Amino acid sequence: MAKLNPREAVLVLFAAVAIAIGCGGESPVDEDAARPRIALIMKSLANEFFETMAEGARAHHEAHADEYDLVVNGTRNESDLARQVALVEQMVASGSDAIVMAPADSKALAPALARAQAAGVVVVNIDNRLDAEVAVEAGLDAPFVGPDNRDGARRVGEVLAERLAPGDQVAIVGGIPTAFNARQRQAGFEDAMNAAGAEIVDVQSGGWEQAQANTVAAAMLREHPELSALLCANDNMALGALAARRQSGRDDVLIVGFDHIEAVAELVVEGEILATADQHADRLAVFGIEAALEILRGETAEDLKTPVDIVTSSG
Amino acid sequence: MTLAVAGWRHSFSPGYRGGLVLVLLGLCVVFGLVTDHFWSALTFRTLANQLPPLVVAAAGLTLVLIARGIDLSVGSVLALAAAVLGVLTVDHGLPLAAAALVALAVGGLCGAINGVLVARWSIPSFLVTLGMLEIARGSTYLVTASRTSYLGDRVAALGATTPVLGLSVAFIGSLALVGGLQFVLSRTAFGRYVFAVGGNPTALHRCGVRPARVQFAVFTLAGLLAAAAGLCQVGYLQSADPNAAIGMELSAIAAVVIGGTSLLGGRGSVTGTLLGVLVIAVLQTGLAQAGATEPTKRIITGAAILLAVATDVWRRRRSADAVS
Repeated sequence: MAKLNPREAVLVLFAAVAIAIGCGGESPVDEDAARPRIALIMKSLANEFFETMAEGARAHHEAHADEYDLVVNGTRNESDLARQVALVEQMVASGSDAIVMAPADSKALAPALARAQAAGVVVVNIDNRLDAEVAVEAGLDAPFVGPDNRDGARRVGEVLAERLAPGDQVAIVGGIPTAFNARQRQAGFEDAMNAAGAEIVDVQSGGWEQAQANTVAAAMLREHPELSALLCANDNMALGALAARRQSGRDDVLIVGFDHIEAVAELVVEGEILATADQHADRLAVFGIEAALEILRGETAEDLKTPVDIVTSSG
Repeated sequence: MTLAVAGWRHSFSPGYRGGLVLVLLGLCVVFGLVTDHFWSALTFRTLANQLPPLVVAAAGLTLVLIARGIDLSVGSVLALAAAVLGVLTVDHGLPLAAAALVALAVGGLCGAINGVLVARWSIPSFLVTLGMLEIARGSTYLVTASRTSYLGDRVAALGATTPVLGLSVAFIGSLALVGGLQFVLSRTAFGRYVFAVGGNPTALHRCGVRPARVQFAVFTLAGLLAAAAGLCQVGYLQSADPNAAIGMELSAIAAVVIGGTSLLGGRGSVTGTLLGVLVIAVLQTGLAQAGATEPTKRIITGAAILLAVATDVWRRRRSADAVS
C-alpha cells in the first residue's frame, strides 16, 4: 500500500473527524439481553432545553439501571430531519425495544416511526406532537407525552395581560416560523392578547437567537413608540429584547419569555422579565421513558399532558 | 524593491465605494418612505451600536480573502470567545479584563491553528476552517454545557457608551480598527505582501518573502478579531448564547464581497468592507422596522449579495478590457 504524504494524511484525518461528528451518538454503558433497550431520540443537543432533557433521562436511568438500558441521541441542529429519520432506522436495526422520540417535524417523522412500530418496536412521542392525520395515514399509533405549548404561552400572556389596558400595543418576537412549537407559542400569545383586547401591531421571527431577536425588537421599539410589551417565544430572544429595551431607554416596556432557562432566573425574580414558562425539560423525557416501560410490560399508555408552570417574580 | 501587484493600486479606486455610499443613501430613503420612524437619531444610534461584532469579524476576514483564502470559522470562534468570557466571569468569578484576555487568546489560538494548517501544510483554507467551525462550536457547547450565561453589569465596561451622540466605545473602536487595518493594507510592506499572496505569489517569493508567513499572520489575526467581535457582542447583549452567530460567517463573507473585495484574492479594502457591513445592517434593520416577513428578508438580502457579485464580475471584465 502506498504511504500517505502529510497532506493526504490530514485530509483523511478531516474525513474521519467529519464522519465521527456525523455519527455522534452514545453507546449504552453495558448491555444485557434481559433488560429492555430504550432509545431516546431528540432534537439538537446544542439546545439547553434538550440538553436538560437528556440529563434528566440519564439521571433517571442511573437510578433505574437494572430496569432498562438507555441510548441517547440528538441531532446537530433543530431542523435536521434526515438525521432523525436515519437515527430511527439505526435504532431499529440495532435491536432497540422502544423509541422515545421528540420529532423535529410533526409530519415528516411519522412514516419512519410507523415502520419502526411495524417492526415491533414500541414508539412513544414526546415534546412535539405528531400530526394526528398524518400519523393515522402512516398507520402509526403512538401515545403523546408532552407539554401544551399553546396553553403555556397563553398563560404567560395572561400574566402580561393583567398589566395591560384594552387597546395597548404589543408585538411578538417569534421562533423559527417552520417550527411547530414556534407556531403554537405564537398562537398562545395571540389568544391571550386578543382576549385582553390588546392590539398586536407586529409579529416577526427572532430565529430563536439573541442577536437576531435584538435587531428585531429594537426595530419594533423604534417603529412603534407606543409599544407596551414584547412577547418572546423563548428566553434567549427575551434576553435580546431586554438589551434592546435597555438601549432604547424604554424601561416601561414589559417583556415575557418562555422556557425558564438558567440565565433568566434572576431577571424574572427581579421583574426585569415579567414572566416565563417552565416546561420541566428534565422530567419530560422521563415521562416518555416511563410510558415506554409501561407498554413493554404489556400495559397501555394514554396520552399525557406534562406540566407547564408559569414563573413570575412572585414565584 | 518594487512589487508589482495590480490589485493593490486597484483597491484604491474610490468609484465603487462611492457607489456603495449612494446605495446606502438610497436604502435609507426607501426605508424612510416605507416606515414611520426610520429617520430618527435613535435608529442611527442603535444601528451604529449593533455594528461592531460584524465590522470587527468582517475586517479580519477581508485580509484573509485578499490573501485568497476563506475563513468559515469566524462565527463559531466569536461564540467560543463569548462563551469563555461568560463562563470565566459568571462561574469562576474572574475579573472582566482577565477573562477578556483569555477569550482573545482562545480566538487567536483558533486562528493560529487555521494558519498553520493552511500555510505549512497547504491544505485548502475552506476545509481547514470548516473543521475549525465544527471544533470551535463543539467547544462552545462543551464549556457552556449548552447554556446561555447572563452577565448583566459585569460586562458594563465592554458595552460602555461615550458622550458623543450615545455611540458605544465598541463602535468607535471598530471604526478605528477599520482605519488602522486599511492603513496597514495600503501603506505598509505587510499590506503589499497580503495583496501579493492573493494576486501574485510568485513575485512575492522572488522578493524573498515567504507567503506561508503572511498567510499564518492573516489567519491568526482573523481568529483574534473574531474573538474581539465576540467581546463586542457580549458587551452589547450582556449575555453569551452558545448558539450565537451561527451562520454569521456567511453574513461576514457577504459584507466583504459587497464591499468590493474579490473572492479570488488580490483585490479589496477594509473601508469597503465597512460599507458592505453597513449595507447588510441597514437592510436588516430597515426590513425589521418595516415589519417584513422572514421570506421577504431572506430574498431581499440574497438579491443584494447577487447584485454585488455581479458588479464584481462586471468590474473585473471591464478592467481586463482596459488592459487589453
